[in-house]
Amino acid sequence: MPIKENNQIKFRVNLQNYPMEAIYGAAYVFLSKAYLFLDNKSPEKIEVFLKGKKKFNKKQLEELKGEFLNELLNYTVRINLSKNNKKIREYIISQALYSAFGDDKVNKEDEIKYEDDPLGIAIPWEDKYGKEIEKTI
Amino acid sequence: MLINFNKNLYRLKAIKLAIKEYQNLANFSLKQKRNYIQVELSNIDKSVRKIIKDEFCNYVFFLMKS
Repeated sequence: MPIKENNQIKFRVNLQNYPMEAIYGAAYVFLSKAYLFLDNKSPEKIEVFLKGKKKFNKKQLEELKGEFLNELLNYTVRINLSKNNKKIREYIISQALYSAFGDDKVNKEDEIKYEDDPLGIAIPWEDKYGKEIEKTI
Repeated sequence: MLINFNKNLYRLKAIKLAIKEYQNLANFSLKQKRNYIQVELSNIDKSVRKIIKDEFCNYVFFLMKS
């Protein structure tokens, strides 16, 4: 049961249900909405103190707690998803980097150098049309 | 005015940085006691007396992010 007094609500969050990172994440979101303080008297439970920046009644304090717990759940899901997708993310990034490197290599191999002169531009006019031009002029 | 920051949850570096930023509003003294970092505020500026504790705690928490 949360304690509500002095425009403040106090409740406990079990670390077996929520990771510490999620508590920090939710807390950061609440910095603009409320005054926040954390404590842990037992190693498995975090005490959260939320104090309204403006005057809140008991119902509003209860709502504030509810919003905090929702945010906590949101962060917990995000962290779990991130953990579950870690391998596939790493694979995608490594593939992207590998193909980027590979493309560069292919491009260099396919690159046509000016010395190759496939259109025969570098051949002097005389060598190419020499005598015929003299006739036309 | 005394604030007890749990060492497992708050970083000393963030607390020290916050004290540096707030030092023109009050006198701060820092002690370490078992699991807690104790911050004592005295000679608090009258204009911020009511909110300094809460604002300071929020600021310490904000600094922990960076």
